Amino acid sequence: MAQFMLLLYDNPANWQKLGPEDMQKALEKYMAWTKKPFTVDSKRLAEDPGRVIRSHSGKPRATDGPYSETKEVLGGFYTVEAASYDEAVKLALEHPHREYGGTIEVRQLYGQ
Amino acid sequence: MTAQADTAVLVEHLFRHQAGRVVARLTRLLGVEYVALAEETVQEAMLRALQTWPYQGIPENAAGWLFRVAHNIAIDVVRRDKVFGGKTEGIVAELTRSGTVVPPEPDVEEQLRDDELRMIFMCCHPALTREASVALSLKTIGGFSVREIARAFLADEAAIAQRLVRAKRQIRDQQLTLDLPAGPDLAARLDSALEVIYFMFNEGYSAQAGADLIRQDLCLEALRLGRLVAAASMATPRVHALVALMALQAARLPARVDEAGDLVLLEDQDRSRWDERLIAVGFHHFDRSIEGSEVSEYHVQAAIAATHARAIDPDTLNWGLILELYDQLLAINASPIVALNRAVALAKVHGPAAAMAAIAPLERDPKLRHYHLLLAVRGQLLFDLGRTREAAKAFRAAIACGCTDPERRLLERRLEACAR
Repeated sequence: MAQFMLLLYDNPANWQKLGPEDMQKALEKYMAWTKKPFTVDSKRLAEDPGRVIRSHSGKPRATDGPYSETKEVLGGFYTVEAASYDEAVKLALEHPHREYGGTIEVRQLYGQ
Repeated sequence: MTAQADTAVLVEHLFRHQAGRVVARLTRLLGVEYVALAEETVQEAMLRALQTWPYQGIPENAAGWLFRVAHNIAIDVVRRDKVFGGKTEGIVAELTRSGTVVPPEPDVEEQLRDDELRMIFMCCHPALTREASVALSLKTIGGFSVREIARAFLADEAAIAQRLVRAKRQIRDQQLTLDLPAGPDLAARLDSALEVIYFMFNEGYSAQAGADLIRQDLCLEALRLGRLVAAASMATPRVHALVALMALQAARLPARVDEAGDLVLLEDQDRSRWDERLIAVGFHHFDRSIEGSEVSEYHVQAAIAATHARAIDPDTLNWGLILELYDQLLAINASPIVALNRAVALAKVHGPAAAMAAIAPLERDPKLRHYHLLLAVRGQLLFDLGRTREAAKAFRAAIACGCTDPERRLLERRLEACAR
């Protein structure tokens, strides 16, 4: 079966109005999705903007990024198994992330 | 990283309760003027959980995780924002020490109960208005969001947010502290705390069927706060009386509404749906409430609730005792609502005609002319007397006074019975 990466971006400002009970409810929804059998792997990224390395006039330079100008940050990713892109998208659609204003990017892993 | 427990589920209201405790702890370390900073820190810790646990699993000790992470965030903020000036390193050292041993270590649990108790006494300080105290207690100790408090009080969020801002300003202006009351101050401060807790409970309890479940959460939060005070060494029999009364009444919450969302009157309730655990809690505190000689309003209310709880079914209910208790209650608190409840008991013991005579003075009070419960009781008494046409008129008047949907449906059912 093919493997896909689901990259979860979110905007921390979306969570500001939620109280403890709302957060717990959100967490329970996230956990319920995560426990489904199609999940192969999941990782959360460390809480920093990251670094991007590009060449400027032939010299490599590391900058903070890549998304420092946008409010959305890549928070973590899942690797899931799905028969097709359509099915992977369907799994992503069932994820509660969108309900809380987040974005999910779906990418197929090459050769899997 | 923390040990992963795939099967871990979160305890109900874990976030709310942990939020309250950690805010109490951090406020104690940072100082009461930084209660907002403590709240933001805890909010951030919960957000971290939300951003981490879906990928890494719920840690085995979720409460401990939140406690530790909140401390770490507080340390970062204190270092970064430098609001504490020369005291920064001292506060960081305290935060570091406090964050090292986490719940559910028994020592920490005990200290946290003390932190929460101090917070309760500060939030319920007599210098604050009742409304401010309730909103503040729910927010800082109960972990309720502004939106939830607004929903519970049918107020808008901006008004509640304003109320909280004002309350925090009052804390600063009046220089309220987290010191526990002692000496001559104790009785008044304790009374003030009990009043706020009882007010919070009644706000939730008076909510009718079909109303937002958040109102029931108010009852349970009031009960939790009451039990916290009752567990402290300063607890008096009066504290136990209040806890008994709240537990015994809260036990009936699951039976107050039927499957269709309609109101079920006490005597028609399915007693198997009463919460036995809460009844046991209620009787435990009831026993402790009668250790002294004091008889407060809470004692009498608790005794009424206990009499109901003791009856196996409505037929074995000791109405004579209930009437006596209402007589006592009326002597302590001569409110029309108590008088109305007493009239209902009177009808059971001496018949509807006696009760009609008892409510006559209430009916002459212009303030109560449009009180729907008075009209509803009048309707029922007339109905029991066989005066169905007058009963129907009273029920119609009660409906016209404006009441909640479930109340209206109940009155309409009574009205139909009059036509039969």
